[in-house]
Amino acid sequence: MAGIMILNGSPRAPRSNSKKYAALFAQACPAETVYREITRGNHGTLCREIEGFSDLLLVFPLYADGIPVTLLRFLKALEAAPPSPRLTVSMMVNCGFLEPGQNDTVVEMIRLFCEKSGCRFGSVLEIGSGEAILETPFAGMVRRKIGKLADSIARGTRRSWKVTMPLPKRWFIRASTAYWESYGKRNGVTKEQMATMEIEK
Amino acid sequence: MRLILSDRPLPLPELSSDTTFVDLSGLKIANCVGCFGCWTKTPGRCVIRDDAVKIYPLIAASDRVLYVSRIRYGGYDEPMKTMLERAIPVQQAFIRLVNGETHHLQRRVVPKQAVVMGYGEEISSAEEAVFRRLVARNALNMNFSEFRVEVMPEAAVEDAVRREAAAWLG
Repeated sequence: MAGIMILNGSPRAPRSNSKKYAALFAQACPAETVYREITRGNHGTLCREIEGFSDLLLVFPLYADGIPVTLLRFLKALEAAPPSPRLTVSMMVNCGFLEPGQNDTVVEMIRLFCEKSGCRFGSVLEIGSGEAILETPFAGMVRRKIGKLADSIARGTRRSWKVTMPLPKRWFIRASTAYWESYGKRNGVTKEQMATMEIEK
Repeated sequence: MRLILSDRPLPLPELSSDTTFVDLSGLKIANCVGCFGCWTKTPGRCVIRDDAVKIYPLIAASDRVLYVSRIRYGGYDEPMKTMLERAIPVQQAFIRLVNGETHHLQRRVVPKQAVVMGYGEEISSAEEAVFRRLVARNALNMNFSEFRVEVMPEAAVEDAVRREAAAWLG
């Protein structure tokens, strides 16, 4: 049992930010890594494959303050499998908000999963402004923290970090507004249309 | 308008005419695919046209909500979590400050008094604490003006919901 399985728990895994974060981790990691994505049909295969690894790194976005359903379903399957008690589960979670601490509750959820499934809880990287930070001059800050996470997992130590854009909140709001406005523009949707108060109209 | 959203069928007494009961276990709701379509392509409308599109307008319009869900790892189990993830069309992509923290702007979402009942067997004090923290986080993102959390064994759910529904009538 050796090596790290990087598991992307994003519901849009093939085109997700989590995939980019996972790739940065694989580049930085001194240990052998394998990258996998969760699909509806591969829970059993993943659970069997995880048996061959000492470490599992969950990479996922914060969804409605918690674990995305895509990952939640898989964790339930893994708990039922169950994983080896020698497996260490680490995590790299990103949210679109400026404060990486908005991920704190989901960190505790993964810790509870580890307790219930009998595996070890490892290292944590919480990323704020995770939707856009890789496209900004602050991307290097995330890369450095991902490097520390990779070292920590490879060495078998348990550490926690947080990283986000070092911006005043008002500046972040202006920057995120511009980011989303440009996102809508690519779809031919104006800022005013995006700001509609109507729901299902 | 009032809404009882449950992950299981519940034998309820007669409800007031402005109260809707939704049993998520009887609905067809796919998980959010994170496409941001409801923010950037068809604002306020999810591109997945299943039963969820009937529910999130009810959530938005209700000034009193009761959510009933099994607890899993300190959070909501699949049915409730799936629905809450699919409710993001009620928010905008744009960010504002709430209590000094960044959160999404809401569309026409009525501020709500929320009661959240989490149930399950062998819920540890640590798991209950995480669930309570989760609902406090939800309050900021889901426009809860007030909220109360109750954690109970599964066998106690029906009585607890009946009590709450009766209090709404009173």
